[in-house]
Amino acid sequence: MNTPAMLSQRPIEDPDLAPGSGPVMRTNWQLFRRRFFRHKMALVSIAVLAVLMVACYGAPWLAPYKQGAQNLLNSDLGPSTKHWFGTDDLGRDQLSEVMYAGRISLTIGLAVAALSTIVGVTVGAVAAYFGGATDQSLSALTDLFLILPDLALLAVAVLIFSQSYTSIVVVLAALGWMYMARIVRAQVLSLKEKEFVEAARASGASTTRILIRHIIPNCVGTIMVNATLSIALAISTEATLSFLGFGVQPPQNSWGRMLSDAEAYANSSSRFYLVLFPGLMLLLTVLAVNFLGDALRDALDPQSRR
Amino acid sequence: MTAGSVLSVRHLSVDFKTDDGTVHAVDDVSFDLAPSETLGIVGESGSGKSVTSLAILGLLPTTATVTGTVIFDGENLIGRSDKQLQPIRGERIAMIFQDALTALNPVHRVGDQIAEAIAVHHHTSRNELRTRAVDLLDVVGIPHPIERADDYPHQFSGGMRQRAMIAMAIANEPDVLIADEPTTALDVTIQAQVLDVLERIQERTRTAIMLITHDLGIVAGIAGRVLVMYAGRQAELGTVEDIFYRPCHPYTQGLLASLPRLDRRATGDRLHRIKGQPPSLVFRPSGCAFHPRCPVSDRDGLCATTVPETRVVDGDHVSACHFATTLGLRQEHE
Repeated sequence: MNTPAMLSQRPIEDPDLAPGSGPVMRTNWQLFRRRFFRHKMALVSIAVLAVLMVACYGAPWLAPYKQGAQNLLNSDLGPSTKHWFGTDDLGRDQLSEVMYAGRISLTIGLAVAALSTIVGVTVGAVAAYFGGATDQSLSALTDLFLILPDLALLAVAVLIFSQSYTSIVVVLAALGWMYMARIVRAQVLSLKEKEFVEAARASGASTTRILIRHIIPNCVGTIMVNATLSIALAISTEATLSFLGFGVQPPQNSWGRMLSDAEAYANSSSRFYLVLFPGLMLLLTVLAVNFLGDALRDALDPQSRR
Repeated sequence: MTAGSVLSVRHLSVDFKTDDGTVHAVDDVSFDLAPSETLGIVGESGSGKSVTSLAILGLLPTTATVTGTVIFDGENLIGRSDKQLQPIRGERIAMIFQDALTALNPVHRVGDQIAEAIAVHHHTSRNELRTRAVDLLDVVGIPHPIERADDYPHQFSGGMRQRAMIAMAIANEPDVLIADEPTTALDVTIQAQVLDVLERIQERTRTAIMLITHDLGIVAGIAGRVLVMYAGRQAELGTVEDIFYRPCHPYTQGLLASLPRLDRRATGDRLHRIKGQPPSLVFRPSGCAFHPRCPVSDRDGLCATTVPETRVVDGDHVSACHFATTLGLRQEHE
């Protein structure tokens, strides 16, 4: 009987996945690299971030002046070869200040992303895997944190828990883990029904082992993409907090605080550079991290096999 | 429990509560499994073969109600918690799944997955695990096991994946190996190779194998005894010779008659078929579940009202049919 129709019923196998397809077979890593490097902006972003990281974390050795070093004879200078980013009203070299401040901004971004990823992945995975009452209460908690008015709460929380570096990281992470939790929960919900999870149960693996060894490794793509994006979010939220005066306190400095200090000069065109450079660093970092996240998303997307 | 058996299943029943009513997936199934023995479990889709094996390992979802006993090593496994079962799963009773592509984790290398199966139960060094994994791949007949251990499951062919699954299952030399349709997704030549691997392993380790399948050919080739299931109940249980040459249940007889055979001239264009449809497990026919389709049923009498008990035909050969003994006699007269 109508053979063509019956043939078309057969599942079409992806030639890339077919066994024994020899030279066209690619490993996941090769596939990842190929798709990642297609994003030219991602490559530029990596370069930008590398330069920023080296400049900021290497500030004690690379910065032309010491942090906070004042020189009243050189106050209020515009950008020049001696002071690339100019100096402020106390004669502090802005290039050095931007480099030192970047250490705090970047560290906060990375630390918040790491912390909120750990919390988010744990909550999401546990909620989805155990289901039932566990899922309901953890999901309710996630939703509760999502509807909190971020900025107002952040400001109050930071004031309560002291404006130290660590408390800012903790508070930012406490208000930033929910997106990761939701995304991971959704993915684990579908992963836990997979047969390899049942096979792992049949092999005697404990629940913790199944989650850590079998389920989470299958979410690594999603987790990496969202962790990257949350770095950008954390850096800009910290900048907002600092700008409003709730962030790190002197002598510590961040890009947001530098903007806040320069606020008075925001509309004085002769001192535009006080706002321009820290702002530019923030913009560059957040943009670069976002481009990186986009490229990772495309490269790790299991749906596209190109 | 029969002396010398490694696994003893008694009156095992599994019910699922659903919105449409209670599904009686498995109803009063009993059998024994001896070391080095292969028991074939056959039946059509939905006859409760897989649910039986999942119930033994306690892998059913919480919506299932399991009653009866499964005695393994002197202890009942039914009603035990996940934690209590974990030392047994994979170490004493292991399982081979039907579709090796989905049962292998796509993000781990094959060698690592086999090593993981050992690491779950034994604290061993990475090097030792690696050596064991490569050995196991060699045992199941994967060529170039050292290189292949570093491949991902998608780089394996179907037959190789199934062998890798078998390697994982036998990694801890279990007492019982449950193989749930291990060759269904494979073509005939690969099937033969995989079954051959199973037989070789059994010779080495004296593992008892529970082979779930709907392929009577496989059963005839590898099993020592056969359990035929219909609608969640056991229809007939006996040695391969009993089942194939002296079937005493009309369902088994129908199954065998429906096989294409080279030694008998076909009476028409078509193969023999069992008329009617397999029953719904929610609204199961009263009495014997097979009676509406049965050629020897008395329709409105005993068959429609009373669930037949398992009757001993002779020795270990039992059949759940009211007319088991008469059927057996008729066969012999033929």
